[in-house]
Amino acid sequence: MHYELLQKPDFTLIKVTFDQGGEQMLAEPSAMVAKDSGVEMKTAIQGGILAAAKRKMLGGESVFQNTFTATAPGQRLYLAPGPEGDAEVIQCDGSTPIFLSSGAFLASAPSVQLDTKWGGAKGFFSGAGLFLLKAIGTGPLFFCCYGGIHSVDIGGAGYICDTSHIVGFTGGLTYNVNRIGGMKSLFFSGEGLVCHFNGHGRLWMSTRNPGGLASFLHPFRRVQSS
Amino acid sequence: MQAPSASPVLPGSPPGPAPAPRAGVAHAITHGPSFAMLRLDLAPGETVVAEAGAMVARHQAIAMEVKLNAGQSGGVFALIKALVIALIRRFVGGETFFVNHFTARTPGSIWLAPTLSGQIQHRRLAGERLVLSAGAYLAHTGAIDLKLRFGGLRGLLAKEGAFFLEISGNGELWFTSYGGIETVEVRGPFMVDNGHLVGFEGQLDFNIRSAGGGVLGFVASGEGIVCEFNGSGRVYLQSRNLGALADWVGRLLP
Amino acid sequence: MQIDVVYRPAHSLAKVTLPPGESIVAESGAMVGMSPNVQMQTQSQGGLMGGLKRMFGGESFFRNTFTAQGGQGEVLLAHALCGDMTVLEMTELGYFVQSASFIASTPNVNIETKLGGFRSFFAGEGVFVLKATAQGPGRMLVGAFGGIEELRCDGNLVIDTGHLVAWDASLTYSVGKSGSGFIASFLSGEGLVCHFSGQGRIWIQSRNPTAYGHAVGQLLPPRSG
Repeated sequence: MHYELLQKPDFTLIKVTFDQGGEQMLAEPSAMVAKDSGVEMKTAIQGGILAAAKRKMLGGESVFQNTFTATAPGQRLYLAPGPEGDAEVIQCDGSTPIFLSSGAFLASAPSVQLDTKWGGAKGFFSGAGLFLLKAIGTGPLFFCCYGGIHSVDIGGAGYICDTSHIVGFTGGLTYNVNRIGGMKSLFFSGEGLVCHFNGHGRLWMSTRNPGGLASFLHPFRRVQSS
Repeated sequence: MQAPSASPVLPGSPPGPAPAPRAGVAHAITHGPSFAMLRLDLAPGETVVAEAGAMVARHQAIAMEVKLNAGQSGGVFALIKALVIALIRRFVGGETFFVNHFTARTPGSIWLAPTLSGQIQHRRLAGERLVLSAGAYLAHTGAIDLKLRFGGLRGLLAKEGAFFLEISGNGELWFTSYGGIETVEVRGPFMVDNGHLVGFEGQLDFNIRSAGGGVLGFVASGEGIVCEFNGSGRVYLQSRNLGALADWVGRLLP
Repeated sequence: MQIDVVYRPAHSLAKVTLPPGESIVAESGAMVGMSPNVQMQTQSQGGLMGGLKRMFGGESFFRNTFTAQGGQGEVLLAHALCGDMTVLEMTELGYFVQSASFIASTPNVNIETKLGGFRSFFAGEGVFVLKATAQGPGRMLVGAFGGIEELRCDGNLVIDTGHLVAWDASLTYSVGKSGSGFIASFLSGEGLVCHFSGQGRIWIQSRNPTAYGHAVGQLLPPRSG
């Protein structure tokens, strides 16, 4: 299969063209924009019920996943993220794991696995339910975020990033979660928790904070009538 | 980076950036493709019809009148139908379809923008038929007829996109997308998630149905409602979907 | 200090390069990332009560000061909604700024939050008007929901209040309903508008956060309170 990233960088749309029948793509529910009717869609609980429950509790991903299978060459599938923003693709090479924050996974070839057994780092937590998923395997991995994707190559000096702006990073990095400033800062700075990265690798950050959008929208929700 | 136009039109002064001499209304689309805004420079007596809530700014010389849009072919029944549909939408959710008529008494400008981020497309209609998702309509000038069509009960189950506008006539039309607009040439059965549909050419056959995948698929796949096209023609997709955004944010909320 | 705005216009990010010892003061929550030698300090206006007021959508306003220590430092800043940013040079009279649009400023910019007579401006939650003034040269970074357009008012201009980012303090203004008559205002879908007169610049954003909030909000699961 081959793919194009259209409408970059603001509202990126992924167009997949299958080269042969039988090729597949896994995607988050509600990622499908359009497809030639010949592409079959099957919904399943990814990885079995227990693994899915873990993912939902920890990762915030949906319990379900869609598998799209081509039935003829040249069929098209269009996928888009939920949030407004950019999407990117990484070719996983089988050895370096990619860590993604919750809500960042968009789609992948079935040969890339989201590791649900990995428990994540203790204390790696931010108010907006951020948690990390580990992706390992070979083939394309599509991820997305709210806002633009800003990548930083981290070397000797390290880098500090607000945890709610983390989209993903490569396996060679180590990280530490801290409060920034003192106690007063924790409550009033609005900065929440930050992550101190070290080692060598690439960090992808979003230029917008999903928690910021959620806080903005919260007052607009309908109030539950009891 | 987009270079926005700097100055508004003032009574008596030339508009800038200068639009070429034209048959229709002078206009400029700025801040595309993601936050497109439409500026119309109206001569005295010119009218633009725009979706309710779309006005960003205007000169005082531009008068505003609210109308239930019943299209060119007015009449009492069309008006009642429009009112009933508007009330249904109020309950079901989604946009109500009222329009404002803006008429210039002396030369002046009006700026219009949709609610969601994305593009604004301009299209000159000369008799052909275009079908738009009701939320995609922004404004029009000239002898254009808008017929509000109900997408069927299945369409109602979608978070949006229950209503379509059949547009025909002669004049200028501006429509919007949530996200970027992608044009797809359809040459056979093609399925589009209802929330990602901006519009399509009138000659295509379309049918609203559930996405498939069995019962589990309908409930869990998140795809919900799709529009299936057949025939030959162009379909306009938008690269974002309000329902999908709501699902994504919903998981982050307390 | 250098401020570069990248990824314009939708996902704009401000890259602030601070020479050693220099500071930038930013709205709380604006920091995306920074180099490890930058120190952050919180200054609250209104003390503890002020902080609590902010949490409940009141008119309190926190800013954090970021200072580069022992070398050049970098701070990345962004506002909450997608859109463009622009840097405004401080003028003698100053600016009025919509609170959600303010991102950061040089330390000499004075921000007033308790402004009378502005209650009726915005229908949105927790959005209010700030006044920014400075003695001497200074800069202010503002962000928008959508694209930013600079309009010049040379007489009169009527602007939907949800689209206001900032305006020159030299302008006179009054807030009112868009349509004439109650029914027209209700049906028209237009919210409050601001009638500006005089001479000055007005920065508008090409999207209205309140309208967006309603459009998405009604699709979200209801909240308990």
